[in-house]
Amino acid sequence: MKGKVIFKFFVLLVAFCFCFTAPALAKGKIKIGVYLPMTGAVAAYGQMEWNGLQVAHEMEPKVLGKDIELVLVDTKSDKIEAANAVSRLIEKEKVVAIIGEAISGNTMAGNPISEAAKIPSISPTATNPLVTQGKKYAFRACFIDPFQGQVAARFARNNLKAKTAAVIIDIAQDYCVGLANFFVKEFVKMGGKVVSTTYIQTGDQDFTAQLSAVQAAKPDIIYAPNYYTEDALMAKQARDLGINVPILTGDGAQADELIKIGGKAVENMYFTAHFHKKAATTELAKKYIAKFESKYKKEADAFGALAADAYFLLVDAIKRAGSTDGTKIRDALASTKNFPGVSGVITMGPDGNPIKSVVINKVENGKFVYVTTVNP
Amino acid sequence: MTKERRNLLLNIASIISVYIILWFFQKYGTEYQIRILNNMAVFITLAVSYNLVNGICGQLHLGPNAFITIGAYTAALLTMSPAEKQMSFIIKPLIWPFSVIQAPFPVSLIAAGIAATIFAFLISFPVFRVRGDYLAIVTLGFGEVIRVLCNALQSVTNGPLGLKGLKPYTTIWWSWSIAIFTVIVIQKLINSSWGRAMKAIRENEIAAQAMGINPFKHLMMAFLISAFFSGVAGGLLAHLITTISPTLFTFFLTFNLLIIIVVGGLGSTTGAVIGAMLFAWGGEALRVVESPMDIGPVHIPGIPGMRMVLFSVILMLVIIFARRGITGRNEFSWDWLFSKLSGK
Repeated sequence: MKGKVIFKFFVLLVAFCFCFTAPALAKGKIKIGVYLPMTGAVAAYGQMEWNGLQVAHEMEPKVLGKDIELVLVDTKSDKIEAANAVSRLIEKEKVVAIIGEAISGNTMAGNPISEAAKIPSISPTATNPLVTQGKKYAFRACFIDPFQGQVAARFARNNLKAKTAAVIIDIAQDYCVGLANFFVKEFVKMGGKVVSTTYIQTGDQDFTAQLSAVQAAKPDIIYAPNYYTEDALMAKQARDLGINVPILTGDGAQADELIKIGGKAVENMYFTAHFHKKAATTELAKKYIAKFESKYKKEADAFGALAADAYFLLVDAIKRAGSTDGTKIRDALASTKNFPGVSGVITMGPDGNPIKSVVINKVENGKFVYVTTVNP
Repeated sequence: MTKERRNLLLNIASIISVYIILWFFQKYGTEYQIRILNNMAVFITLAVSYNLVNGICGQLHLGPNAFITIGAYTAALLTMSPAEKQMSFIIKPLIWPFSVIQAPFPVSLIAAGIAATIFAFLISFPVFRVRGDYLAIVTLGFGEVIRVLCNALQSVTNGPLGLKGLKPYTTIWWSWSIAIFTVIVIQKLINSSWGRAMKAIRENEIAAQAMGINPFKHLMMAFLISAFFSGVAGGLLAHLITTISPTLFTFFLTFNLLIIIVVGGLGSTTGAVIGAMLFAWGGEALRVVESPMDIGPVHIPGIPGMRMVLFSVILMLVIIFARRGITGRNEFSWDWLFSKLSGK
């Protein structure tokens, strides 16, 4: 009996608490919607980007004299949820612009909805060329896969003096397939020869079959634009087999785990990337890096930097538009010229893809070292 | 008025009232609400057809994602315009018949269903040679095979880049009409002699065989019908989110469907419908717990993933207090409602 009374009292207490519950009030604020994979398969990217966004928000919390509020909605790394999230941000939260998603597939699910509602959206890291294709209100802060592949090919031909290349592609990732494809096109155009093309899948552990084919073809370099886990394991097995040619990869390799898993085998691995601390020369970048490192006590990463750029680009566009009208922000965003962002100087192309330089990094003594910058 | 006549009239009346509700949403609701309604209808179609094999026939089939994938890709390739296809296939060009044909949406949906059914027919021979856990493994394997093929066949599916730019043909009229149609067809089937035979196989296959029921024939029938509706729902889903890629059709999709039918009540169409509606609506409704809140003077920052925690708690509570799901194996019927109302 006593238990029942306590229980009733508890229920009343909870109900009482809820009477005072109100969604954090947002009067006279400018709302920017953020949809990111905070849980699910690619939650790590969402977390990194949200960290970057928060730092950027602290650096520039106001625009047009009003406070900016970031409204975060989780997508569970899923397309259906991503579409729901964008719909919710527009209809329920009444945001003026949207930042997200982290990966291309989900951004393609969200973009048609913001396009129809005439709300500009900017994705920090969706690199698939299809994301902005034929869309007026869709933008991104990163460069696209074809561009990164081309730069890698130029670097391989001009700086590494490679005549032949072996390509190893993770066919489960749109990103890897896109990069490899445009690398091959450019490399062949520049007089190089692709002597071996082999395929892997995300989650593979053993690459002996692919590497044996590479060994038999005797290439000057290996181009393996895959994610860090596969890159590290593959490098290890390649070195064990006695393949000592340089390995070139994409920005998917830029994670501390690469060095943790790969150890000595990933030494001298080159990769094209969006961002390196050393290459960041703008005022904004210096401020961002200092603030990020004092807040999170770790090195600023590319995902966070690109998310911050997405935010800064948007705030800059709202400032220049002088209004929160979707179409006006979109026009301002499209006319962004030489914006000194965190990941470099950004000019927005007519198709919603930024024109910006690519950084080339390399692993040396267990650290990512800046090599050079390739301008567009 | 006989009971049958009364029930028929009530069925018709309830279908009409569903359409009236939809009309109100169409006219006064927001895009967001309409999107959730669409999700609901697609999940109802998927859950009800999946329940036919899992709940009625009692075979633990874990490959509906294969049928949904085939349906989605078939429908998408048929409705996309040749120009859009040419623009999207940047790695390898799309192979011939697909690169030039274009079909209206209804045709593509039927084609989606048929393509999934043909695939189901082909795999039903190896699948129904085994039972129980082994059947689960074989169907799971086929689900994965299809997903891997979608990644590998770049000249048909555009590989991991996926397809985009599908027209948003899936309106609430289409999705709900198909959901209602699915429920009617599957209910008719379950209440026919075929359905009773399927239930007999579920309860005891050897006894059913002794009664002259051919298990293979009946299981295949259920499997093909389930595949057809899953394929159609796949086509609806593709035109709802307007972009598809192999990552959409992982085992998690199957897993969600399994949760829906188990929570709803394995073997009950009513349960599958209720489960699907709760799943599609609940996921969005629970977003409230992830947003920042002020409880009195205390400010709680939003914690992403909180709704998944709550969702799991709800699932556990349902399974603890209703061990056979929300409805168990019972179905909703007018007779039941009237006997309840008259207090008998």
